[in-house]
Amino acid sequence: MVSIGRYIRNIQRSGVKKWIRDMWYIGDAKYGKCVGQDQFGNKYYENLNPEDELPGRHRWVDYSQHNYHASQVPPEWHSWLHHIRNKPPPEDTVMQNLSPPWKGAWVENLTGTRGAYKSYNTAAAKINPWEPKAAPRNSA
Amino acid sequence: MSASVLKSAGAVRVNASRRAILRPQIGVNAVRPIHSSIPKSAQVPDNEVPSSTTSASVPITTLAKQGSNQMSLETPRNGMEYVLSTVDKVVNWARQGSMWPMTFGLACCAVEMMHMATSRYDQDRIGVVFRASPRQADIMIVAGTLTNKMAPALRKVYDQMPEPRWVISMGSCANGGGYYHYSYSVVRGCDRIVPVDIYVPGCPPTSEALLYGMLQLQRKMRRSRNSVLWYRK
Repeated sequence: MVSIGRYIRNIQRSGVKKWIRDMWYIGDAKYGKCVGQDQFGNKYYENLNPEDELPGRHRWVDYSQHNYHASQVPPEWHSWLHHIRNKPPPEDTVMQNLSPPWKGAWVENLTGTRGAYKSYNTAAAKINPWEPKAAPRNSA
Repeated sequence: MSASVLKSAGAVRVNASRRAILRPQIGVNAVRPIHSSIPKSAQVPDNEVPSSTTSASVPITTLAKQGSNQMSLETPRNGMEYVLSTVDKVVNWARQGSMWPMTFGLACCAVEMMHMATSRYDQDRIGVVFRASPRQADIMIVAGTLTNKMAPALRKVYDQMPEPRWVISMGSCANGGGYYHYSYSVVRGCDRIVPVDIYVPGCPPTSEALLYGMLQLQRKMRRSRNSVLWYRK
């Protein structure tokens, strides 16, 4: 449960540096076991003790980027974070074996950057720029 | 049907994933993939431009911003620009923290928009509060089919909103006509009437998707460097 005692206890357990980072990015003094790290450097934590974390807040992610958002979590870790899979991806042998070989590398949502998805149109443009064609003048 | 039953019945056709679960996770079986095509990781890349990176220090967002105008705006050239870009960041922080949408609920999308306000998705935690008056709103959520009859009203409401203002187009009807694209009485996308910032796809989009759209709009607000732009001009 959330209490001042838990808050102070978590600062003591995780250290001042981690506490400042957690307050900056998560907004709470969290403490838990680091379960793993994905290919982008995001760290994943778990604390199953109901004295520390409410059920539902017991799995969380510490993003590596300053401008973080949810699509930076790759699908394997997403399934762990949202309790679709019980074990984290490094330990989940079933998921490792079922991973399809044609699966591409995970790319986060790049909207607003030059990597943003742009759809294409196969129809001819209705509005075309004016291309002036001047006939040559007679020299007479 | 228990796992042992499946294992004993050799003649029964079991799908590949089921078989993979039943296979003992030791020896050759532990590493053997269930597919016969070449893994994506083993294929030779045909282009040199990286489409993904796993580096934490140089993330894909940094790569995607290289050489863009936005990157130029975010990189201060002198002390004045350094101050102004910081001012911009403070303004952006204030704007993204209290986004007040004007609700323009037109159809079934509006129900999902209402769900965003209720306790499960709880828009209040990111400072999104619905306002019934366009004079008090900065965002307009166009939720639903925009008909020809409604279009002048939509434009009027948009004109009544104070600057800066943003528009979220919610659902396929507002994005491009959607199901009613070929109807005689429907505007084929609300971007024919008002400039749209965020398109949320779906028919209707889930309230989670709309909330994600709000978060994308926050990203867009964070990108704005209006005073730097003014200074450079």
